[in-house]
Amino acid sequence: MLSYWRQYLAISPFYLVFAVFSLFPVFFSLFLAFQHWDGLSEMKYVGLQQFQFLLRDPVFWLSVRNTLVIWVLSTVPTLFGALVLAALVHSVRRFKGFYRIALFLPNVTSIVAVTLFFGAVFSNNFGLVNAILGAVGIAPLPWLSNPWLIKVVIAALMTWMWTGYNMIIYLAGMQAIPPEVHEAARIDGAGPVRAFFGITLPMLRPIILFTVVISTINGLQSFSEPQVLFGTNAANASLGGPGQAGLTTLLYFYQEAFMNNDYGYGAAIVWAFLVLIIVLVLVNWRLVQRGRKP
Amino acid sequence: MELSRRRFLQASAMTAAAAGFTAACGSSGTTSAHGKDLTLWYWGGGLSDKVVADAKAQFAKDVTLTASSVGGDFKQKLVTTLAAGGTSVPDITGIKGEDMASFLPSASKFLDLNELGFKDISSQYLAWKTKRAQTTDGKQIGFPIDIGPTAMYYRVDLLEKAGLPTDPDKLAAQIKTWDDFWAAGAQLHGANPKSYPMRNLPELFSLVVDQGTKRFIDESNHFIGDQSHIRNAWNTAVKGFTAGLDGKVDDNSWNAAISTGTLGIELGAAWHALDIEQAAPDLKGQWRVAPMPGGPANDGGSYLALPKQCRNPEQAFKIVSWILNPENDARGFTDAAIFPAAPAAYKLPAMTAGDPYFGGQKIIDVFGPAAEAMPISYEAPADAAVMAPYSTELGNIEASGKSPDAAWNDAVSKAKQIAQRQGVS
Repeated sequence: MLSYWRQYLAISPFYLVFAVFSLFPVFFSLFLAFQHWDGLSEMKYVGLQQFQFLLRDPVFWLSVRNTLVIWVLSTVPTLFGALVLAALVHSVRRFKGFYRIALFLPNVTSIVAVTLFFGAVFSNNFGLVNAILGAVGIAPLPWLSNPWLIKVVIAALMTWMWTGYNMIIYLAGMQAIPPEVHEAARIDGAGPVRAFFGITLPMLRPIILFTVVISTINGLQSFSEPQVLFGTNAANASLGGPGQAGLTTLLYFYQEAFMNNDYGYGAAIVWAFLVLIIVLVLVNWRLVQRGRKP
Repeated sequence: MELSRRRFLQASAMTAAAAGFTAACGSSGTTSAHGKDLTLWYWGGGLSDKVVADAKAQFAKDVTLTASSVGGDFKQKLVTTLAAGGTSVPDITGIKGEDMASFLPSASKFLDLNELGFKDISSQYLAWKTKRAQTTDGKQIGFPIDIGPTAMYYRVDLLEKAGLPTDPDKLAAQIKTWDDFWAAGAQLHGANPKSYPMRNLPELFSLVVDQGTKRFIDESNHFIGDQSHIRNAWNTAVKGFTAGLDGKVDDNSWNAAISTGTLGIELGAAWHALDIEQAAPDLKGQWRVAPMPGGPANDGGSYLALPKQCRNPEQAFKIVSWILNPENDARGFTDAAIFPAAPAAYKLPAMTAGDPYFGGQKIIDVFGPAAEAMPISYEAPADAAVMAPYSTELGNIEASGKSPDAAWNDAVSKAKQIAQRQGVS
């Protein structure tokens, strides 16, 4: 153990940074969830009071509903789109590298820049989308003020960001499927569609499971999108846009902890939300695992 | 180069020693009360940049003043820095008026300005403004920079078209109450269908609440946000909405709304004049100012404070009281539309001159009397948090057509809950 000190030293920067900026805050926030603290004055122990408030707080439940709706609206098209794109990219013969890079590129662009761009494109009055709709004779839609359309815009943004990422993972999974299996299927007379459903999908199952779990964790943490889309609206002190339709749970946590300086309540929100994420990941796991041969 | 264990240990020991040495220096710097390097935090437009530059020169022989204009969420950055402590805490800092109430429970993080001599000059500043930066046991945390007396800005050309008086005095005589205001607003909107007298519901509600002598929590820490004074303010705002006079303008579309005439009347504080001027430079001469319907109110206006880590309280207080003396405060009005908290400034030429943007109108004639007739209300530390659901629900009425009664009930129940969470009974 001790004789490996150089190796441990070499990897220590990550663990030190992780301990200071991730591990410690995790436990500190758990401690805070039982306190009342405005960030400056003395902390006051309040027991489970923050969680009792949480259960009766309509805004918290609204934020949970918003988050779940946005998550479904974004994850389903993301994963299906990624699967289709991966199958397409896997089958092309030329420019494979170009397609891979082009499709992955949205994932490495700055989320703030992309959100500002989406905000401009979907703007109610001067947006490109409404201009195009107008050109074909459809009345402009209130993209950034209707509660459902707000969620659609946020979900579209997340889909745009994450489809390429999942596509790369699926593509790697597809390339790992031995070509002999496909060859045997072709000899048995299976067409490309049949082979996709009969061979590619079942063999990708562990990969799909992985992306579902990762997408659940990522998709439920939507924060930057609504924050940037509606964060500048100082006239409406509440974040999340008109009717708080874009208020996700993490945004609510941010608002309570860092805007209203109610750190105890903010901590309670995220810990309650953690429980919810765990439940959802378990449910998803079961759903995707279902039908798998023992 | 191969790194031997001994060499590595030597190097780490030296780094550690160096770190300890700097830390020691740093801490000895804070304990001395005669520091030569002072830092000042404010936000863009919070103080006159020219006055700050002059202050640097004025005090250069005693101290080096480094002023930083801090962008982004000022309060959040200040709270984080104060909580962290150490040498990064500014020696002098601005505190926004709307944040002051929430800093009062943490008064121990600041120096009592009365002990440094503020009590001798406090009579120069508006008493109600000074009092809002005072703890219940008389500790003075904030030195008033400016105030935000509200008034009614209006477009001469649009009002003329609607057959309304365009002279400030005559308009003031016609619009005294909120009912007068809605009648005139309907006239404006009728003659100019694209023009509205009101920006949005939450904003108007907040202005009407500011006109009262009671807010959401009373001095004995009881929630009073469900009482008639708040309900009346709510109804006043909603009346404009149901009459179809709500421009539904948010922050993003505000500049366009001002320059294209969507807002023919704009209610706002004195510092808001600069916003209008910047949004619509082409409309120079078309705007005028008249007193607020329903009486004066205060919206905003900030303070300077000295955190307890201040390296040289005496000098820092000297600098603050120099920056904010009536003459310099009046210069702030010329440079950045900062409306002084010192009434002596109102008589100075910098303020009595006519404003070319407002067609040469002497706007001090509107704001000066408003500043001295301000209603005095108690603002509890949790006030802003408790008020938030009202704004949200008014936004819901606006955005999704929620019924005002249902919105009121939801606002009150959410506000009660937040109040309870904040320890208000």
